[in-house]
Order: sequence, then structure tokens, then C-alpha cells
Amino acid sequence: MSFLKGSASFVRFSVDGTLPESSLDFIAKRVMAFSFKDIDETYDEYSIGWVSILNMFDTQFAFASYIAGDYITLTLRIDERKVSPAILNKFVQKEEERVRLERQVPRLSRSVKVQIKERIRTELMRKSIPIPATFELCWNLSNATLLFFSTNKKIHSVFEDFFKESFGLIIRQQIPYVTAEYLVGEDHLSRLESLTPDIFV
Amino acid sequence: MDLVDLMVEKRFVGQEFLTWLWWKSEERGGSVALANEGDITVSFEKHMLLESGEGESSEKIICTGLQTELQEARTGLQMGKKLEQARIVIGHNSHEYSFTLAGALMEYRNVRLPKTEATENDKSDNSEEVEGMILERIFLFEELIRLVNTLFAMFLKVRLGAQWRDELEKIRHWVAKMAIVV
Repeated sequence: MSFLKGSASFVRFSVDGTLPESSLDFIAKRVMAFSFKDIDETYDEYSIGWVSILNMFDTQFAFASYIAGDYITLTLRIDERKVSPAILNKFVQKEEERVRLERQVPRLSRSVKVQIKERIRTELMRKSIPIPATFELCWNLSNATLLFFSTNKKIHSVFEDFFKESFGLIIRQQIPYVTAEYLVGEDHLSRLESLTPDIFV
Repeated sequence: MDLVDLMVEKRFVGQEFLTWLWWKSEERGGSVALANEGDITVSFEKHMLLESGEGESSEKIICTGLQTELQEARTGLQMGKKLEQARIVIGHNSHEYSFTLAGALMEYRNVRLPKTEATENDKSDNSEEVEGMILERIFLFEELIRLVNTLFAMFLKVRLGAQWRDELEKIRHWVAKMAIVV
């Protein structure tokens, strides 16, 4: 399901705030500064950044490849190391039993158990492979709107924060009421504000 | 009101629009006239989600099936539910857009754009053709949004104007007419 091919799901945002004078230069700097950093060879648990919409491994954006006409097209990539609670539980219990037998005690103290859990969690986290997730965006510079290709609210929240961090701009989701404020004339705005649901039967 | 409050308090706006659009699409057998543009075709397909109430007391029904068998959906309307999600096909200038619109937050889901010569260039090695494909896809997405917003503007004009009483009567009549004959 994507912006480039096949079926796609998206929501629309307006972009509030003004870009500096040489906006394309500014965008170029910020895209590079906030481009994705690979964590496959490190122990980091989380990485977020911009990549090219044509290639999720491209963080160079040669020839400003994110520009298409009046639009900026980017992919937001998020890699995350996760350990499933079931796996964590299994290895914690295994290790607790091993330590208990080694120390020849009937049970372990709470503080020892906490230490074991932390140690096992860190070990498993380091061994786990980051799971990637990508979400495209298409930013219309001429009318300050953008399309974001996800309908997941948690992802929207992450995206709003990251977009603000990257470009210093705030985005506002175009839910029907917000779009309506823009579509209706001045004379109908107050009626829109006081609108309540009607019964269709 | 901040956005989070608006999402709750004004949730009904998008749902009323969808319900109105369903009625509108059947008014003239699928043709809807847009100002300054002529007719487009709008048809509601075999997947709908209806909703009533709010929060803990909300009720939803999901209906999938052939057009003529959407009786549960029609019954849902008769029980005062409104359309929250619907699969819609819009025909405009010999292009067909099919998509699921989620009314509460105006989400476009599983959008299938019309296939044009330019959109089929995704595997091209030529960077100009690829950029052309991208621009074409953007154009088509924006065109779809424009058409939906034009329909939404039509709805708002009636809903906020003096003609709403009459229009609502017609819609109520249409809902009542869809009674199940067993």
C-alpha cells in the first residue's frame, strides 16, 4: 500500500508557519540533518529519519531527488529493536533458575531478579534485528498542504513531532470540520460553529 | 476548540456528509452535477460501516455484500445510524477512482488511482519517466481530493443553508423507502 504503486491510504494535513526566504536551501539542509541513520551495526533501540521515496537505503538524495515540481516527496523511516514479552519472560525465567541453582538457594531476592531481568533484556535487545517501517509524505509547497501515507494515529503523532523538529513547522490534520472552515464562506462560519447533529430518519 | 476536541464534538460532520452523498449518488442514478464541471458518477460499493452513539455507548455495524443486498446498511440508517466508512467509486473525465472514505477524520483508505500511461512507468530506468510517474500520481491524488472536497462543499452549502429542511425531508423519505419487504 503506497504512494508510488498499488493502493494507498493517507490523510491530509495543512502546514502552518512560514519557511525562510530560500526555502529549498533550508529544506535541503534540514532533510540532510534529519536523514535516517542506520542502526543495524549498533546497539541503539530506535532510529527515525528521512529517506528517499524511491529507495529506503538512500539518505544522500543526489540532485535533491526529493523535489518533484512544486512538491517535496520523502519517506519517513523508523527502525526499532523490540523484544517480545514472551521471549523476554522465557529467558528471564531460564536465567533465574540457573542462578538459583548455582547459588543453591530456595529463591532469589527481588533485587537479584530485577538485575537479571535488566541484563537479559539488554542482551536480547542487542541481538535483535531492527524492524523497519516506512511512511511516505508528499508536501505541496505551493498551497502548504501535505499528504501522509498512514492512517495510524500513533504514527501521526510521531510524524507531527518529527516534522516540527526537522522543519520548524506545525501540521494540522484536515478533519472534515477543519476542511469545512476553509470551504464555507464567511457568512456561514458561525453557522458551522454552532452546528449540531441532525437525525436522518 | 482544539483539534482533539473537534475530532470528538464534530465527528458527525463527515458522517452526515457520507450519508448525504449516498443519497445524492442515488438521486439521479449515479450522476452528480458539479458546478462548472458537468456530471461525475458516484457509486457506493459493497463495503460500508455505520455508526451511532458516542464513546462507550457507540454501536457499529459493518456490511459487505452485493449492492442489492446491503439491507443491513439500509436498516442501520433507518435505526438512526450514520455512514462512517464507505467504499466509493468516482468517475470523472473517463478516469475512475475507487477508495474507502472514513468520515469522522476524512481518511482516504485503499485508494486505487486510475491507470494512465505515465503511472505505469515505475520500473523505468529513465529518471525523467520516473519523475513523470511521481508527478502523475500526485496529480491524481490531488484530483481525487479536489473532487471529494467539491462534493463536501456542495453538502455544506445545503446543510448550512435554508434548503436543508427540504433536503433532509427528501433524505428521510429515501431512508424510509428502503424498508425491507420480507
